[in-house]
Amino acid sequence: MNPLWRLALRLTRAEPRAFGRGLALSALVLVMGAALLGLSGWFVTAAAAAGIAGIGVGFDFFRPSAGVRFLALGRSAARYGERLLTHDATLRALAALRGALLGGIARLPHEAQARLRGARALNRLTADVDALDGLMLRLVLPALAALGTHLAAFVALWLLVAPGVAGAVLAIYALGGGAVLWATARAAHPPAEAAETALQSLRAQSLDLLRTRADLTLAGALLAARDRAMGQAETDRAARATLDRIDRAGASASALTTSLAAAAALGVGGQLAMAGTISPARAAIGFFTALALGETLGLLRRGLAELGRMQAASARVLALADTPAVPEPATAPMPLPGPLLQVSRLTYHRAGAECAVFGPLDLTLNRGETVLLSGPSGAGKSTALACIAGLLPPSTGQIAMQGHPLGDWPEADLRAALTLVPQRPALIGGTVAQNLALALPEGAALDPDAAWAVLRAVDLEDAIRARGGLQMALGEGGSGLSGGQSKRLALARAMLRRPAVLILDEPTEGLDPATAAATLAGIRAALSDSGLLIVSHRAADLPFAHRHLALEHGT
Amino acid sequence: MTRPRTETPAARLAQLAAPAAPALRRASALSVLAALIWPVQAALVAAALGGLVTSSGLSLPPLWAALGFVALAGLRAGLDGVAQAAAQRTARDLVAATRARLLTAACLQRVGGGALSPAELAALVAEKAATLGPWASRYAPAMARTRWVPLVFLALAATQSWAAAVILLIAGPLIPLFMALVGMAAETASRQQMAEIGALNRLAIDRIAAITDLRLLGAGARARADLARASDDLRTRTMAVLRIAFLSSTVLELFSALGVALVAVFVGFSLLGEIGFGTWGGQMTPVQGIFLLMIAPEFFQPLRDLAAAWHDRAAALAVASELTEAEAAMARSGTILGTGAPGLPLPAAPLSWQGLRIAPGPGAPARAFPDGHVAPGEAVALTGPSGVGKTTLLAALAGLIRADAGQIRWGDTVLDDTSAKAIRAGLAWVPQSPRFPDAPLAEAITLGQPGDLGAALAAARAQAIVATLPDGLQTRLGDLGGGVSGGEARRLALARAYLVRPHLVLADEPTADLDAVTAQAVTEGLLALRAQGAALLIATHDPALIAALDRDIPLSAEDMA
Repeated sequence: MNPLWRLALRLTRAEPRAFGRGLALSALVLVMGAALLGLSGWFVTAAAAAGIAGIGVGFDFFRPSAGVRFLALGRSAARYGERLLTHDATLRALAALRGALLGGIARLPHEAQARLRGARALNRLTADVDALDGLMLRLVLPALAALGTHLAAFVALWLLVAPGVAGAVLAIYALGGGAVLWATARAAHPPAEAAETALQSLRAQSLDLLRTRADLTLAGALLAARDRAMGQAETDRAARATLDRIDRAGASASALTTSLAAAAALGVGGQLAMAGTISPARAAIGFFTALALGETLGLLRRGLAELGRMQAASARVLALADTPAVPEPATAPMPLPGPLLQVSRLTYHRAGAECAVFGPLDLTLNRGETVLLSGPSGAGKSTALACIAGLLPPSTGQIAMQGHPLGDWPEADLRAALTLVPQRPALIGGTVAQNLALALPEGAALDPDAAWAVLRAVDLEDAIRARGGLQMALGEGGSGLSGGQSKRLALARAMLRRPAVLILDEPTEGLDPATAAATLAGIRAALSDSGLLIVSHRAADLPFAHRHLALEHGT
Repeated sequence: MTRPRTETPAARLAQLAAPAAPALRRASALSVLAALIWPVQAALVAAALGGLVTSSGLSLPPLWAALGFVALAGLRAGLDGVAQAAAQRTARDLVAATRARLLTAACLQRVGGGALSPAELAALVAEKAATLGPWASRYAPAMARTRWVPLVFLALAATQSWAAAVILLIAGPLIPLFMALVGMAAETASRQQMAEIGALNRLAIDRIAAITDLRLLGAGARARADLARASDDLRTRTMAVLRIAFLSSTVLELFSALGVALVAVFVGFSLLGEIGFGTWGGQMTPVQGIFLLMIAPEFFQPLRDLAAAWHDRAAALAVASELTEAEAAMARSGTILGTGAPGLPLPAAPLSWQGLRIAPGPGAPARAFPDGHVAPGEAVALTGPSGVGKTTLLAALAGLIRADAGQIRWGDTVLDDTSAKAIRAGLAWVPQSPRFPDAPLAEAITLGQPGDLGAALAAARAQAIVATLPDGLQTRLGDLGGGVSGGEARRLALARAYLVRPHLVLADEPTADLDAVTAQAVTEGLLALRAQGAALLIATHDPALIAALDRDIPLSAEDMA
């Protein structure tokens, strides 16, 4: 099925009643608009006929004029209610979709997640999620409301005017409106995708250009790089020109459809009136109703303009949200005595690469022990840790935790026993307390004493107290703390889990020697029974370790 | 190009769009013209329906009226299409011109102390500049229609019935005031709505960016629950704002519906003879009545279009302010020498500088630098405490910063805008934190310069880095997630330096923050460059590296006041 429809169904299922009520009100607004103009046309024409016939005194003007006023007021009220309902439902449904997206991304393999974390992929994802804001509000609901309104109008015109008029109006709107929707859906996807890609490339290339402009200037390549970025702007312009053309064609076709339908109602109804089959006032109903139904197409215009972008975005968002679950063992194995962690002959080879990133690596980690792993920059230390933490499948070798291969551990039990703090750990926007609470089981509340204890262990207590304590707010990605402070907050967060195995990737990078020493000592003291595996290239960290391993480049 | 701070966002937007203004005026005029066809269509329909009611007076067979109606609709759609095409083309040109101007100014800014971060500038160039498009293509024509169409329709209505005109005037009217009220409320609403929905999306993206950490903490479910709770809070707040904001558009809706209803009731009663006033003498005819009824809804249409496009205006106003400020800040910051075009290197010669005074950042007071020189083939260390200006001096020698006073010479050639590209062609640059564009690694290293990349990688001790990458030299570093480490990046930058066989290498702290093994590899790479014949000028604190060089140019804060 078309991803756009699948997504629309998914959003609708999240809030079926609210969307249903919103849709009913949307249709009511349109119906009342058509009824207002149709009734007005009937009233004016009938009044004219009565006035000329000299029977104006007996004409019941009370009910039609009251009807006109009721429709005018009722339409505004219905519009207000419709907007509130549909916006509320959309916000709820999009919240559910974002949750599903996060869940789907959480099930991706580590490498795919790492790619998604890049600025370019995140921007793309942001643009995709943004693009879907309007799917229900500007496309699906207006289209369904239009459909309902036309069917209601068909019945009304059949009964009040003539079957011929009703048929002509419905047929013209169905053909015209259907053609506009069909043609836009067919034509807009590729240029919308091209425009979005060009926009993202323009941003990425501008960023590259400005970040590397010193190097580009020295290489005499600044102008060429600028022209390449401008080339993306040109691609964007060309794709938008196509989108603009599709938009104009849709607008013209919509306007002509309305005019044709109104003219058909006038022509057919007028002929019937001249033949005396229906009264002129009834012919007027047909014309004015057909004219007012043009609003059904007008409301769709913005949605149509975004249709191509939504098509492209929905496919990607759905693919991510529907990431299949990873099979895992049902029960945790019984921990065996002996080393906490036993790594033997471990290597990792990137697909297609000439050499292994590191290894082979042999390593044993016991309770209460600190092992330091060092090696030159680029020797694959972080990759080795990702393997040991079960993020990357090793190319060769075995990793056993508490006597059992990593694969025998269900994810939740593995994470409870083993925690890795990456070299560049990520924090989230929110308070310090919220960031720390991520380490706790779902639903558990953060104990302030425990929180302060871990912050003290990483020498962060004073800095956090000075800036509002645990309620100190951090910006997106945890901005607001210095690099060293963010890192220590991530260390404190990991300590709250009290894991049997704690793996730290360059925990002292960017810290001054006194803070580095205090932090390592604090962690060791607080987790006296855990095994610590620390990657560091600083000689000052050596005295903390019981053992020291050097990692070599792979061959 | 300094502008007073008191300028309104609207004035800034007008200034930005000034080159597009004539084209937009023409498009808007066509758009108004298209809207003005409606009264003719209305007259045809009125004549036909009126003719059905009474044979006296103006009358037209319905079929002819229908044909005329469609033909005029075709003309109207055609004119409108041309108007839109012109407005959309102008909008695209405006966006493209703004982007080109921004990019050019941003690339030529002096290096060090840029006015805006690269990420901010990239966002301005890409999606923010794009918001000028909908403003020009949708809002500007809608504004023109709102100025003229209701006025003309009001005048037309008045020719038939002053009372109907008064109804329109009361219901729609005091147009500027009404528009301002609705506009302000609609602006607040759309801004709030966009901001809050944007905040919701950022909440989700923030967690996606942290996905590995969430997994390592077993916090996936907790993060989803947090996100749901935060989304719900934001939704409640958003809806509170929208409940008020939607009132404004409801008011617009109400006034236009009431306008139509009141005109219909007035016309009906007039035709019945219940109302005897409102026309210019005599009873209202059916044709007049139907004409008035058809004019009424279209009288309000431009206002509704304008309200729908109001968000485009709000977005463009916000961006116009940012753009103007960015351009002014870049104009203040100063530029590099030359344009960054490729050049042919001059023969090897000593690089020397005399009497230099350089500002370390835009607006900072200039500092005096001691004179110095580097002879061909010589290896010189540039030493001194952090912050003394070593990086600033290197950037000035490469023509990336303009000196306020003094002279830099390559042999007898003075470094200026004309000679910059030739002098730079003989230089190589190894910055402290090398950055690579998101391109295949081979291209990211060479930046399009010819040379033997394999030999360069070998000399820079960088083959091992390439060997572990999934696609070797075709790997995009951006796809690796983490990219390369600091030490690897410096070795790749050395390979770039080696590639171009420079006369002189300018390197900034090449061994800072590296482990001993990697620092040794970088030092060997630098010495390999020297063995190739290049002179070296290296800003460094590293005693091992200083010892490996011929001599030392010390910078000290006391000498430079």
